[in-house]
Amino acid sequence: MFKDLLNPTNFNVMVSKLSDVLVKAVNEPLGYAINWGRVWSLWPVHLETACCSVEFGAASGPRYDVERFGIIEAFGSLRQCDLIVVQGTVNRKMAPRVRMVYDQMPEPKYVIAMGACAITGGLYVDSYNVLPGIDGIIPVDVYVPGCPPRPETLIQGTMLLQEKIKRSKIK
Amino acid sequence: MAGVHESKVDEAIEMGMQVVKEYTADDDRLMTLSVGPQHPGSGHFRFTIKLDGDYIVYCDPDPGYVHRGEEKMCEYRNFIQNIPHLERPVIHDSANITYSYSLAVEQLVGIEVPRRGQFIRALTSELDRQVYTLYWLAIYGIFLGHSTMFMWPTADRELFIDLLDSLTGARVTHAFNIPGGVRNDVPEGFKEKTLRHIAYYEKRLKEYEDIFYNNPLLRQRTEGVGLLTKEDAIKLGVTGSVLRASGVPFDVRKSEPYDIYNEIDFKVQYMRTGDSFARAYVPFLDMKESCNIMRQLLDKMPESGEVRAKLQPNPKGPAGETYRRVESGRGALGYYIVSDGTPRPYRVKISVGSFRNILALPHLLVGSKLADMPSIYWALNYWPVEADR
Repeated sequence: MFKDLLNPTNFNVMVSKLSDVLVKAVNEPLGYAINWGRVWSLWPVHLETACCSVEFGAASGPRYDVERFGIIEAFGSLRQCDLIVVQGTVNRKMAPRVRMVYDQMPEPKYVIAMGACAITGGLYVDSYNVLPGIDGIIPVDVYVPGCPPRPETLIQGTMLLQEKIKRSKIK
Repeated sequence: MAGVHESKVDEAIEMGMQVVKEYTADDDRLMTLSVGPQHPGSGHFRFTIKLDGDYIVYCDPDPGYVHRGEEKMCEYRNFIQNIPHLERPVIHDSANITYSYSLAVEQLVGIEVPRRGQFIRALTSELDRQVYTLYWLAIYGIFLGHSTMFMWPTADRELFIDLLDSLTGARVTHAFNIPGGVRNDVPEGFKEKTLRHIAYYEKRLKEYEDIFYNNPLLRQRTEGVGLLTKEDAIKLGVTGSVLRASGVPFDVRKSEPYDIYNEIDFKVQYMRTGDSFARAYVPFLDMKESCNIMRQLLDKMPESGEVRAKLQPNPKGPAGETYRRVESGRGALGYYIVSDGTPRPYRVKISVGSFRNILALPHLLVGSKLADMPSIYWALNYWPVEADR
């Protein structure tokens, strides 16, 4: 029996199973801790693309206070940010800049499309200079509809994103 | 206090002149700096500056990051359909940007707004002036590192937003001022609620003055910075608070009164120094004066009556052109409409205060220090989305 076990094929299977168990034992609590850290320290880039920035400003004011959810108006560097809230219309001049900002951010990074214009082009869908939604240039995690969305809606959108991060797997 | 202020301005003029004289065009010494669009201090706007040591010697504004073709879009919608997208450029001052459009269309179609409608319109315009100016003040506060001045105006702004919410049904984008009057009558108890808010708000304005405008740090950062003389202000064509801060008492509400503004008793607020402090202080004086205007409007408003003139389903005027303007939070805001007799405008040109004010930016930045850039830039009462249209 020992001979069977020490057979190279079986041995490899055993080691791989053991390592699976080990990885699971370490990964789940560790992944939970990492996700917990990511959920409560979302730092948005200070990139305003259009008029929804007014409601974004109102959301970070005292009445709505998104800082409760760990989101601060980051005035730091792009390299410290992990969230883009695309605040409204993106036009042909702004689109390359949005992509450039997204590329410069470190992983993991999340995107919230705020407002009807960022989702489909909204009111400006027939304008000659406006993109029909930003999912053509960057991947979007959460869509927050409205024109402009009320601050409560934006807060709900960010809470949805936090749910998504909590459930995500660490690679 | 006024004497101290003016002597500092004189000092700065002398200093500014020295700077310009010392500078010699030596390209190797210059550092190019691109500010925006991803920059905490720029908003939806970019400008390139060249630095010689600490001094700015060249400035090139680059607007257009929010250009959405509003004027072209107007041409394939009819006069009523145009309202929702025309208020998007300044969503926190949307009553004023639709006000002048409505005035222009009314002049074209030839209709008279009922008296009560005119009062409600003027009231929404004044409420939105507060909402806009408080947002502007909040951003100016955070630009200069004064976090309290971000929190307080943002909190007090919500009171006015609540009033407008109860009146129009939307926080910022009302689509309430339409050709012919306003959409709805005021809700019950609106007058008492507004008066209560104004009484509270006037107390708060005194606190703003104490903590922000009389703050020695703000005074040092803004007094004598970015001087715009009266002649230059007129030559560059700036408008609104920027023009009034340079000593020109121009206000569209006073010089070309529209609707019921000739029945209202108010003073045009202006200062003579023309520096960043004056440009930051004049909107504050405007907010104070606007409270008086709102009180008078609520007093004189007729108790009952129509709020909206009857319009034909698809209003159209004779072929011709029209231009009307109002005083918005940023200055004169006008619409030039050309009609060819169809229900759709042939051409719409929006003349906005922001774009006129940003023309003064290179003039003011060249010769000043890099550290003065935020206080000069945002004191120009500029909203990039409106300027790009």
